[in-house]
Amino acid sequence: MYNLFSLIFKYIFIAIIYLFILSIIRLIYLDIKGISGEISDGSRYLKLINRKDSLPFNVKEHYPVEGEITLGRSNNNKIILKDPYISKNHLKIAEDEGDFYLVDLGSVNGTFLNGEKILDVVKLKNGDRIRVGQVEFLYVDRE
Amino acid sequence: MMLNKKTSYTRPRNLLFLFELLAIALLFVYDRENLDRFTIISGLSLILMIYISNFLLLRISTGDNYIFLITTMLLSIGVIMIYRINPALGMKQVIWIGIGILLFFISYFIVKNIKGWRDWTNIYFIASLGLFVGTLVFGTTKKGSTNWLSIGRFSFQPTEITKILLIFLIASYYANYEKYKEKKYGSYYLTGIVYLFIGFLFLQKDLGTVLIFYSIFIALQFIYEENRKLIYLNILFFVIAGIAGYFLFDHVKVRFQIWIDPWKYIDNKGYQITQSLFAIATGGFFGTGIGLGYPDFIPEVYTDFIFSAICEEMGVFTGMGVIMLFLILVYRGFKIAISQNDKFFRIVALGISILFGIQSFIIFGGVLKLIPLTGITIPFVSYGGSSMLSSFIALGILQVASEELD
Repeated sequence: MYNLFSLIFKYIFIAIIYLFILSIIRLIYLDIKGISGEISDGSRYLKLINRKDSLPFNVKEHYPVEGEITLGRSNNNKIILKDPYISKNHLKIAEDEGDFYLVDLGSVNGTFLNGEKILDVVKLKNGDRIRVGQVEFLYVDRE
Repeated sequence: MMLNKKTSYTRPRNLLFLFELLAIALLFVYDRENLDRFTIISGLSLILMIYISNFLLLRISTGDNYIFLITTMLLSIGVIMIYRINPALGMKQVIWIGIGILLFFISYFIVKNIKGWRDWTNIYFIASLGLFVGTLVFGTTKKGSTNWLSIGRFSFQPTEITKILLIFLIASYYANYEKYKEKKYGSYYLTGIVYLFIGFLFLQKDLGTVLIFYSIFIALQFIYEENRKLIYLNILFFVIAGIAGYFLFDHVKVRFQIWIDPWKYIDNKGYQITQSLFAIATGGFFGTGIGLGYPDFIPEVYTDFIFSAICEEMGVFTGMGVIMLFLILVYRGFKIAISQNDKFFRIVALGISILFGIQSFIIFGGVLKLIPLTGITIPFVSYGGSSMLSSFIALGILQVASEELD
């Protein structure tokens, strides 16, 4: 009886060990994939402040800010972050006469600029910290 | 913030939990005649402890979350195999793991909260020297090497501690490299010290550790030394030391002969390695199943040859799994070193990854007859108190190095 158990269990053990290895490799893969996010030529961009491997979803180090940028969980956004604390359509950064404005699109958990929750539209300046969900970005404007 | 982080690590953690639960159930059925309450409680508390530590670490540390997970998988495979071969030793190993995990957290907090590690080059030197001289004077001889130190009822291998001290020494030397470079012969200090240590190890006839010391030293020197000639010189010395070792020590010569043709000495000196090869071959891809093979035919199976036992009863696939786990562990170590900004901890992280890598390579290669056999333990897998504790201390330090320090 024991022999039968042992024979069945050895296959289960190998399966579990390989699933374990695969699930770790998958997590590692996510953080390697993000490394290749290159800086664009644009002088305005969002820079990730978090350590990338502390976030369990895909996120790049840099996102260029050109024209209108939308950020959210759903796939119709320019910046897609699969963070459950981020709303489907969370925020947008809009240009108006050369200035850039941060607009919250009625998100559930809010958008924070330098630690304060924004209420409507706020003008962005170089060095601002934007926090959405678990992610924090630095707004860099070199012009 | 924590919630999402938690869910993504839940999957490997739950798999580990499931693996341990199934294995322990199987082992208790296997060993049902001698089963008592104490064994059941310690087995279950081990599983719980590993689960809780993995859970806690996510909350305590902002750094890497994989390395502890990987090592707990490795030691689960190890302790299962040891318990199956010898339940008494398995129980002892459970206790060592308990102390080891505790030491992991203690060394994590100590290294994290004390500042100034990079400037204590002299302390590392004096402490290692003290341990070497102590071993030489008070040491006891086991299996041909004088490398055990006994205090009261406890005995331990001082080289397990000096390994870590050596990494700290090299790291603090290269972190303060500019300072030493200005002194006369400054760039030769480190080389001199390391050769002094290696000299002591030769006196102890502990050649496995010589190999580890040399590998760590040459690898770190290769990365950080500006005097490139010194590196070639050291590699040359390494070769000379190897050849000298072959002619000076009989047991090195014997090891070499066994490696080249173990079948000629199958009835005595080559018995261990041939049994190991038989065991691996018997197991095949999926193994015989736990409790259905004969790993006890191999002498020293629970320490140096645990890998052969794993291959026999849990299959070559599990053996490859163990090697892959080490690969990921070493990869994470290098990744930690690359993203660390503090130079001292960057070198320490590299040193520890090299330590784990080279140690497991030497013994995997040894039992598979790829390289001559040197009796050292697999970190986290083999039976052994000093090895388990020092590996956990090293892992705790690596955990600190994975965080952003200021």
